[in-house]
Amino acid sequence: MRPIPLVLALSSLLIVAGCGPSGSGAPGGKVKVEVQAFQGGYGIDFFQQAGEEYSKLNPNVQVTVAGDPRVWEALRPRLVAGDVPDLMFPGWGMDHWALVNDGALLELDSALDEKAYKSDEPWRSTFRPGLLELCQKDGKTYMLPLYVMIYGWWYDPGVFAKNGWTPPQTWDELLAFGEKCKAKGVAPIAFQGQYPYYMIEGMLLPWACSVGGIEAVNAAQNLEPGAWSSPAMLRAAQMIAELRDKGFFLKGSVAMSHTEAQTQFLNGKAAMVPCGSWLESEMKSTMPPGAQVAFMPVPDVAGGKGDPTALLIGIEPWMVPTAAKHPKQAIEFFRYLTSLDEAKKFVREKGTLMAIVGSDDTDMPPSLEAPARALAGSKTVWSVQYRTWYPAMQEEIEGAITSLLNGQLTPEQFVERCEAAATKTRNDSTVTKYKVAS
Amino acid sequence: MRRKGQGPFVLGFLAPAGLLYLVFVLWPLVQSLHLSTFQWSGLSPVKKFVGADNFQRLAADPVFWTSVRNTLILIVVCGVALIAGGVGLGHVVNEETRWARAIRSIYLYPQAVSLVVVAIIWYFLLSPQIGLVNNLLRAVGLGSWERAWLGEPQTALGGVAAAFVWYALGFYSLLFASGLKSLPAEVNEAAELDGSVRLHRFWHVTWPMLWPIKRVAVVYTVVNVVNTFALVIVMTRGGDPDRATETMLTYLYEQGFEVSRFGYATSIAVANFLVVMAISLAVLFWFRRDPTAARA
Repeated sequence: MRPIPLVLALSSLLIVAGCGPSGSGAPGGKVKVEVQAFQGGYGIDFFQQAGEEYSKLNPNVQVTVAGDPRVWEALRPRLVAGDVPDLMFPGWGMDHWALVNDGALLELDSALDEKAYKSDEPWRSTFRPGLLELCQKDGKTYMLPLYVMIYGWWYDPGVFAKNGWTPPQTWDELLAFGEKCKAKGVAPIAFQGQYPYYMIEGMLLPWACSVGGIEAVNAAQNLEPGAWSSPAMLRAAQMIAELRDKGFFLKGSVAMSHTEAQTQFLNGKAAMVPCGSWLESEMKSTMPPGAQVAFMPVPDVAGGKGDPTALLIGIEPWMVPTAAKHPKQAIEFFRYLTSLDEAKKFVREKGTLMAIVGSDDTDMPPSLEAPARALAGSKTVWSVQYRTWYPAMQEEIEGAITSLLNGQLTPEQFVERCEAAATKTRNDSTVTKYKVAS
Repeated sequence: MRRKGQGPFVLGFLAPAGLLYLVFVLWPLVQSLHLSTFQWSGLSPVKKFVGADNFQRLAADPVFWTSVRNTLILIVVCGVALIAGGVGLGHVVNEETRWARAIRSIYLYPQAVSLVVVAIIWYFLLSPQIGLVNNLLRAVGLGSWERAWLGEPQTALGGVAAAFVWYALGFYSLLFASGLKSLPAEVNEAAELDGSVRLHRFWHVTWPMLWPIKRVAVVYTVVNVVNTFALVIVMTRGGDPDRATETMLTYLYEQGFEVSRFGYATSIAVANFLVVMAISLAVLFWFRRDPTAARA
């Protein structure tokens, strides 16, 4: 009876032994490039198809793309063990700055100085201005963007037309609009309470930017003393508290997941929802018939120091591990993926804006036109970077905004907690510090 | 009696189990202790030795103490509810009637379901817009009691506790039912002859004699509550709102897998181990003497 566990133990050891790094020798002497990609709203089929096309164009290379919706979990043990893919797009769940700090990612500047795919221009200059800076530490580039997400608020133009509403453009218009909504039994705003960063990036920071200018937000991201409790940040928190007290938020939002809140919005329970430009692709399968989504900038504060065209964007970066077996071929494949033709194709097929200059010049879904115009017309394009630089501090600020929304904190207490979290991060010698590129 | 040459034989039979225990229990424990002395992202082979630094941080980390407090609240609340409910239901289902059998299987049903499914069921029950609880309140005219149960700090931990008690009650009632069955009939008869009935008999005869069952139940509650990780992760994303449902294991998960402080997370694991050991030892000490032992 007893030898059974031993047999099991031995066989499991054998299985473990068989899981070592597999050889990269592909049939016919091809270089096998392994790509692991996050299977989010845009899927991985586009990358798989691009891999096949690239392999056809380059007979000595075989690109295989695999992935899943939580690919970062599968990548974690592989990164520790050194058995890494050649190119990876690990998704939002991967702490990529920790990888940069650990020296686990290849510096890509020499590749960026070379020409773009089938072009005479340097690869670097084909990215929209300001995006590569989001991937840099001390001026060195360790990651690359592919698509660009635009953050703002969303509304249903059909519902607005039916009620004779127009999207509020300023804070005062928002206050007046909210009363009109409530009179019709519709909550003005739904939010994704389980993921408090939607409120940080959809209200708090855009309003701090609008009141105090981009400098106020940069100072907060740079952990400058007093920046998280600045008058601009306090005003932004007060605005959120005012909406809370006026009952402008859909009841129960604080307990809702992103899809639950967005479904309530699409079902007409709320007039607007803060979100990124992935909203339509995320909700495509559950969209009620006739529902539409359209982008609107976050209502601006009249008389604030901020640029009214300021626009919050985000990227989800791609990277090449230092321990990759075929880094050169991996970079070349990504160069192909960022060519203007592929980028335009991605816009058409997946309905998102791309990091590549000129990629807007193609047929795009109607819901993407307003974000594209906003991006093209914005004089202040910025991104929330501290969230991925300092994930522990972000946890604290997310908790604080939940308590602000629940009425457990006053705006003053809220900014004090944020400031305390920033101070703790600033004084923690084990945390690597970053600065917003100016 | 020991016979000559028995040693190798015994050793040979103990070896497989011993080896498994060594590889899968002792070694990971030692490894955790070792890892808790490093600053490590858990994302690359790069590690930095920091000695007892992680434990010093832990002692000064208010979120950790919140998580300990919440874990202890869950242990006490769930423990009391499960043992009281278990004894009560144990009496009910102890009869061999059709009703008792039906109730037994109804109450045991949640045990057969995965804890994740239980969490999802309760998540939807307590959902602010489509949840049965809010809909029921609305239906009976108590709409003002409606709330985002899992989104508000006053009710979120209670929601988690309710789900856990619902899940585990069947097991505890069965445990106590079998304990009640095992009580010697002559003691009950003697008590009855002496005029001790109902509550009096329960407090002075049944309850003390359930001693071994109570001991098992308490240790089980401690171990199970500490391991409610899946429930909290699914119901409140592990700690929402603002740490109101943060438990030691969810905080460990956050630190290790979300904010890339794997070394620190391992020190939480060590602390968790110590807390569970301490509580279990305290329970064993508390129940050290069998009050019924003198009877034999």
